[in-house]
Amino acid sequence: MTDGYNTPPAAQLTDAEVERRRRVFGLTAEDLARIAELRSAVVDHRAEHTAAFFDHLARVDEGGDLFRRPELLDEARRLKEEHMVSLVSGDYGRAYIEQRARLGALFGRARIDMRGFLSAFQMLIGSIVRRVAELHPTDTVAAMDRVVSIRKLLFLDISIIQDVMIAEREQMILNQQEAIRELSTPTLQLRDRLLILPIIGLLDSFRAKQLTENLLRSIRDRRAKVVVMDITGVATVDSKVANHLIQTVAAARLMGAQVIITGLAAEVAQSLVTLGVDLTDLNTVGDLQGGLEEAERLLGLETRRIGSA
Amino acid sequence: MPAPEAVRVAIQRDADIVAARQRGREMATAAGISGSDLTLIATAISEVARNILAYAREGEILLSVESRDGRCCLQVIAADEGPGIADVELAMRDGYSTGKSLGLGLPGARRLMDEFDIVSAAGAGTRITMRKWAR
Ligand SMILES: Nc1ncnc2c1ncn2[C@@H]1O[C@H](COP(=O)(O)OP(=O)(O)O)[C@@H](O)[C@H]1O
Ligand SMILES: [Mg+2]
Repeated sequence: MTDGYNTPPAAQLTDAEVERRRRVFGLTAEDLARIAELRSAVVDHRAEHTAAFFDHLARVDEGGDLFRRPELLDEARRLKEEHMVSLVSGDYGRAYIEQRARLGALFGRARIDMRGFLSAFQMLIGSIVRRVAELHPTDTVAAMDRVVSIRKLLFLDISIIQDVMIAEREQMILNQQEAIRELSTPTLQLRDRLLILPIIGLLDSFRAKQLTENLLRSIRDRRAKVVVMDITGVATVDSKVANHLIQTVAAARLMGAQVIITGLAAEVAQSLVTLGVDLTDLNTVGDLQGGLEEAERLLGLETRRIGSA
Repeated sequence: MPAPEAVRVAIQRDADIVAARQRGREMATAAGISGSDLTLIATAISEVARNILAYAREGEILLSVESRDGRCCLQVIAADEGPGIADVELAMRDGYSTGKSLGLGLPGARRLMDEFDIVSAAGAGTRITMRKWAR
C-alpha cells in the first residue's frame, strides 16, 4: 500500500479456494508437522534465502523495475523475509495467502516477468533445501521427506503469486489502453483560429475530463476562436458526460472561443432530452461539414469585426 | 420464448460502466428491442451504474431477459450495499443531488425506461429494478 498499488485478488481468494489449493498440492497434516520441524533451517537463515532470490534476479537482469526503484526493492525484501517466517508458522490460511498476494502484486508492478520470478524462486528453494539437508546430515531419506513437504507449500505459493502477477498485468494493460485512448483524441488545426476536435468512440467520464483539459490548453496555445467538436460515433452520453461537455463549452467561451458540436446522434439527443439535460447552451450542427461551414461563418464575422474596428 | 439468460457485471471502476452499457445493449437486442430504445436503455444503465460507483463505491448490474404474456423485456437490476438513500422521494426529484452533479440520474432513468422501482434506506444499500419492453 506504500506505493498506491492495489492489494488485488486476495479478496477473491475465499477460504474455500485456499482449501482447494491445499488439496491440489496435496498438503497433508503430516507435511505440516514436518515443515514445523524446519523452523531453524528457514527462519535462522532467512536473510540468506532472501538474498538467494534477489541476487539471482539482479544477476540475470530479470528484476524489471525492482532495482531501479529502491522503495519497491526494500518492500519486496521485507515481504520476502516475512514470507520465510510465515512459511514455517503452520498457519496457511487467509493471512498467509494475502501476504503472498501482496508480494505478487508488487512483483507485477515492478514488471518482473514470470520467467524471472520462477528462476529466482528456484534459487530460493535451493537455498532452503541446503539448510534442510544440514539438519539431517546422515539420514538422506528424512531430509528428502522434509524437502518434499516444504516444496508442496512453496509450489502453492507459486500458484498464488502467478495468479496475482497475471491479474496485475491485465490491470496495467487496461490502464495503458486508457492512456492510448486519451492520446488518440488530438486537436487538429485546419486554419488559423479554428480547432477541430474529433471524438471517436467511447466517451467515458475519465476521457471527458482529459478532453476538457486538452482542449482548453489548445485554445490558449493556439488562440483559437472557434472549436468544432465532432462526436460522431459516440453511442451513449449520460448526464455526467453531458455535464462535462456543457462545462467545457462554458469554459471555452470564457477563454474567448465558441464551440460547435457536430455529429450528435438523434438517439443520443433523445436520451439527453429525456434525462432532462438542458442542451440550450450547446450549439449543435448536424454533421462535420455543416459544422465547418458554420465555423467559417463565425470566423468571417470575427475577421470583419476586427477589420472594421 | 428465448431462454431466460442473465448477465452480471460487477461495478468497481469507470471501465465497468462502459461494459455494463455494452452488455445491456446486447441483452436488450436478445430481448427483441431495437433502434433508439437501445440507446435509451444504455443511458439509463449508465446512470444507475455511475451512481453505484459514486455513492456506494461498488455493486453490480444484473441484466436478464424476462417475458410476460408472450412479450419480452430487458430487466436491469442495479444493486449495491452502500450507504443507501434516506429520502428516496427527494432523491427522485429532478435536480436533487448530494454530489454537486445534475441530479438527473434517477428521475431520468425512470423516464428512459418503462418500469422503474427503487428500494433503499439509510444504511441498507440500494436496489433499483428497471424494465424496458420490446415493442
Ligand atoms: N446507489 C446509491 N447509493 C446511495 N445514494 C444514491 C445512490 N444513487 C443515488 N443516490 C443519491 O441520490 C441522489 C440523486 O441521484 P441522481 O438522480 O443520479 O443525481 P446525481 O447523481 O447527479 O446526484 C444522489 O445525489 C445521491 O445522494
Ligand atoms: Mg447520478
